[in-house]
Amino acid sequence: MTTPQRPLPASHRLSAGGLIDRSARVAFRFDGIAYEGHPGDTLASALVANGVRLVGRSFKYHRPRGLLAAGPEEPNGLVELRDGARREPNTRATAVELFDGLTATSQNRWPSLRLDLLGINQIAAPLLGAGFYYKTFMWPAAFWEKLYEPLIRRAAGLGRAPIGPDPDRYETATAHCDVLVVGSGPAGLMAALTAGRTGARVILAEDDFVLGGRLLADDLEIEGRPARDWAGAMQAKLEAMPEVRILRRTTVFGVFDHGSYGAVERVADHVGQPGPHQPRQRAWQIVAKRSVLCAGALERPIVFGDNDRPNVMLAGAARSYVNRFAARPGDRAVVATTGEDGGRTALALQRAGINVIAIADARAEVSRSLQVIADHAGTRLLAGSVPLRAHGHGCVQAVDLGRPDGSGRQTFDCDLVVMSNGWVPTVHLTSHLGGKPAWDAMAGAFLPGTLPPGMAVAGAAAGRLSLDECLTSGAFAGLEAATAAGFDGTAVEVPRATREDQDRVALVPTPKPVGGGKAFIDFQNDVTSADIAIAHREAFRSVEHLKRYTTLGMATDQGKTSNLNGLALMAALSGKTPGEAGTTTFRPPYTPVAIGALAGVHTGKAFKPTRLTPAHGWAREQGAVFVEVGPWLRAGWFPKAGEDWLAACNREVAAVRAGVGICDVSTLGKIDVQGPDAALFLDRIYANTVSTLPVGKVRYGLMLREDGFVFDDGTVARLGPEHFLVTTTTANAAAVLGHMEHALQWTWPTLDVTVVSATEQWAQFAVAGPRSRQLVARLADPGQDVSNEALPFMGAMPLSLLGGVPGRLFRISFSGELAYELGVPSSWGDALARALMGAGRDLGVVAYGLEAMNVMRVEKGHPAGGELNGQTTAADLGMGRLVSPKKDCVGRVMATRPALVDPQRPALVGFRAVDAKDTVTAGAHFIDVDAPATTANDLGHVTSVAYSQGEGRWIGLGLMKDGPRRHGQRVRAWDGVRGRDVLVELCPPCFVDPAGDRMRG
Amino acid sequence: MAEHITFSRRGAFAGLALPGRFGQAEGPAGLTVAVRTTVAIAQVVARPGRTDEVSSAVAAAMGLTLPAPLRVSAAGPVVAAWTGPGRWLVMQDEAGSGPYPAGSFVGRVAEACRGAASVTDQTDAQGVLRLSGPRTRDVLAKGLALDLHPRAFRAGMAASTLCGMVEVTLWQTDDTPTYDVAVMRGYAGSFWHWLGESAAEYGLVVAPQDDARAGAG
Repeated sequence: MTTPQRPLPASHRLSAGGLIDRSARVAFRFDGIAYEGHPGDTLASALVANGVRLVGRSFKYHRPRGLLAAGPEEPNGLVELRDGARREPNTRATAVELFDGLTATSQNRWPSLRLDLLGINQIAAPLLGAGFYYKTFMWPAAFWEKLYEPLIRRAAGLGRAPIGPDPDRYETATAHCDVLVVGSGPAGLMAALTAGRTGARVILAEDDFVLGGRLLADDLEIEGRPARDWAGAMQAKLEAMPEVRILRRTTVFGVFDHGSYGAVERVADHVGQPGPHQPRQRAWQIVAKRSVLCAGALERPIVFGDNDRPNVMLAGAARSYVNRFAARPGDRAVVATTGEDGGRTALALQRAGINVIAIADARAEVSRSLQVIADHAGTRLLAGSVPLRAHGHGCVQAVDLGRPDGSGRQTFDCDLVVMSNGWVPTVHLTSHLGGKPAWDAMAGAFLPGTLPPGMAVAGAAAGRLSLDECLTSGAFAGLEAATAAGFDGTAVEVPRATREDQDRVALVPTPKPVGGGKAFIDFQNDVTSADIAIAHREAFRSVEHLKRYTTLGMATDQGKTSNLNGLALMAALSGKTPGEAGTTTFRPPYTPVAIGALAGVHTGKAFKPTRLTPAHGWAREQGAVFVEVGPWLRAGWFPKAGEDWLAACNREVAAVRAGVGICDVSTLGKIDVQGPDAALFLDRIYANTVSTLPVGKVRYGLMLREDGFVFDDGTVARLGPEHFLVTTTTANAAAVLGHMEHALQWTWPTLDVTVVSATEQWAQFAVAGPRSRQLVARLADPGQDVSNEALPFMGAMPLSLLGGVPGRLFRISFSGELAYELGVPSSWGDALARALMGAGRDLGVVAYGLEAMNVMRVEKGHPAGGELNGQTTAADLGMGRLVSPKKDCVGRVMATRPALVDPQRPALVGFRAVDAKDTVTAGAHFIDVDAPATTANDLGHVTSVAYSQGEGRWIGLGLMKDGPRRHGQRVRAWDGVRGRDVLVELCPPCFVDPAGDRMRG
Repeated sequence: MAEHITFSRRGAFAGLALPGRFGQAEGPAGLTVAVRTTVAIAQVVARPGRTDEVSSAVAAAMGLTLPAPLRVSAAGPVVAAWTGPGRWLVMQDEAGSGPYPAGSFVGRVAEACRGAASVTDQTDAQGVLRLSGPRTRDVLAKGLALDLHPRAFRAGMAASTLCGMVEVTLWQTDDTPTYDVAVMRGYAGSFWHWLGESAAEYGLVVAPQDDARAGAG
């Protein structure tokens, strides 16, 4: 491909006019070729100005396609924008603001846009009709994934996603206002002004980068001056209002509950790369008391033979290219119209120096105004005529005009066909909360039906197409919205503008194009009138079925230019009005929204907040490998050089059992319970009795759910007669607090108790091992006695340490060793870790993580996550005796249901691998030695495993039918998922110091 | 025996809030952040049915009127923020009042409540930031769903809500505007990441910390 160093001057740029800055040039590349445009151009308008007519290949048939539209509804001009990790497929060239250095590539063509070998699909077109995929690729099923789908995707892909991670930043934000105005055309500008004048907080959101809507595209006058200038003056007025906020380049893409609107602001899409620290896009949640939808209308194409030839264009788009962008889409034009719009179009084209060859007006009677225009332009006006078929390859070269029945056919040479078949109000946002658009026969369009709460519609979106109606309806809607939001209205002055004659007829497609060729309804999905006819014939007649069967209205444009034509044809075939046929459901987003914008800064590690313990930095310095436990990161193990997790874990366990180790247990939930009824309350919350606990003592606590199953466990410490500190498991901290709050607020509101989370206030370390008392004593301030006598097993005391830090010391053990938990205010957590490690160096102190903690608790037979799985009862876990029969508690009654006291329930059992070389995995099923591994023979499953150095083999805990009565017997631990089948010997669930002498010592 | 090491207190934002200018380097900074490391925080929870009693007891003992819902109140150095029905954070900046100030302040609040409320020390459970600067509202809008427009939220108002997906209690101290934000300690890192990202566009100044007790960084 040759690439000229210096782009040629834009060949189709008008010498004057347009809203472009001719003093500056913008260089860009399309398919590798360098071009120039001006600030103010879109990629599409710059291509038009450079005479580029072919912009893509169609999705299914690979037909050459040009620009149909000039706005966000464009179905054909989809390009890959930018390169590398910033490559963005399916970008509408009409919505891309030109920037210096822009590169764009056409899609869906191979090997090049002009020479597309897959155009062969056109020849096979008869085979590719509606429902083609469903019919052809049915059999054999296995071929779908391996053969058919990749083939179809390659042939019919819509652009390529980038491979690398997106280098840009995105963010989300919330904005609040009294009145949200969507769209800044004549209606939107008036609505923002009248609302703004009341003092209401107004947000005016405009998709485009310039305010004005159709005022930019059409040659109109307001108050006797060019409408564009009026729009500029309005912008200045609005900008001067402190409570009016204008968001340009912002698409309101969805309406959500409670007056909430989704919008995406393209903060830096109009530059090559965002500036330093600038987000690329910002997703707004706009909360508005009222909204005024002024989204305008989209033009409806005419469906005729080969109407997809490049440069068969919507009339409004052609006017936009010449008036707003000073770009000439062709030299010889034929205007096909169904009403007065055609005259305005012919005038605009002629003023731009385009030779208008003929005007075909579908109306049978000659329009006097059109005749005047035709005479003035020296153009033929063919009343009662429609386009029958377009000719040409690459670009339209001629068009046949004639009567709708095909008679009177004449061919006109041209390089541009513009079509105007009325306007379809942009009602999408009115439907996002379920409102159905209503068919209006007079307007020949679906108009807004039931509106979302607080929304009003003005201007063309409400079917008021004429400029004067837009101004008036916008002005009143804005004022009403502000008034409804509680502001005092002032009189509305509506500027003068001429009434535009809207006389027209509507052309409904025929099942078969009269003039021959393929008549496209949905350009983006290659759906023709014949496809609609097939769907009708095959009984996919409901609009929702029609959509799924033919793909009408799918993909990025969601049928913006095609829905009405498709539905109108189906309605005609079914003998219904379009109103009876209805429309498919409009859902957010109105136009595609990058997922990155919705995620904002919450990506990667910041996807969700991470909770860190006060000594996290210390653990990181020690080389901890962290594991996620809910939102927390906890140290899993602390590997030394060359150690894998198991080696590190074994070393840590050995060090604790022989000396002393410390483990960060700050993540355990801590709930401060205070009040005269605290003891009574805890008796009701816990299955076991709490009220008999003396001050300065700790007790294990087991909590049931309402349904009688075990909820959580932890410790209860009595700090004072009316003051307790209870701990929960890390995972259930929030749930237990919620459970207690519920019980207090709803079940026993008269109890004089409060519960408050103290989890974040306290950093807490387990200090475990035979030398733990020595270590704790070294940290205690002078005069503090931590001897066995002063603080026996299950005792609690305040402890001043590190020279005055007010701590709490609990003598509790999860490991089975002599052990403590030492708590300090969180700001001292880091210091505590360092102090323990420093003071214990000669004692051989180690830091141990979750893995080592798990090994030791399995060896001790303490239930944890695998056993407290929400399906076990206290008796299942061997703690039936804990449930006090002397008092009531949450879950007591339900725990006595027959299925919960069934002696056949699987119950806690310990086991050890018979062969020391075998590994057992959690989740393995217990099966009798000689029984086949079937569901019927399933005896229960392994809940926890650990490598026990004391046992010299893998051991574990499990829940097994008759388990407690089968100690000493052998069963298989069968794991079909990992392909393991290991012989294990059942035993009591405690492998270390069953009498508990060590922890009491 | 233990070696002689001096241990230091580390606030929630220690190691995160390093003084300096970040993000956009040009022009005046949009946001200034000061870490309030010396705020003692007592959480007061009225016992069932005794909210009024707590209010009058605190007013009598400390001269502080506990604020109505969604409000803050102040009496001298003591500030109270409403966080829920019958719940307040009562705070005092204890800069320069010794190494372990919280206990005495929290004890004083507990005494003032005279058993009508449960009082817990939450000094270490929260990190408090003071946010000010011309773009403060714009920064907060990126993480906070509340309307901070002067017509909706003024000095003297408080909210317990989510900011940057993290639980916070936020109150406005003046109309410039300045906000204080108390962040759950464990989430300080995530909050700081969100704040830095959100303020980068406008430029962010982190003020030097006001007290040596903040420790290293």
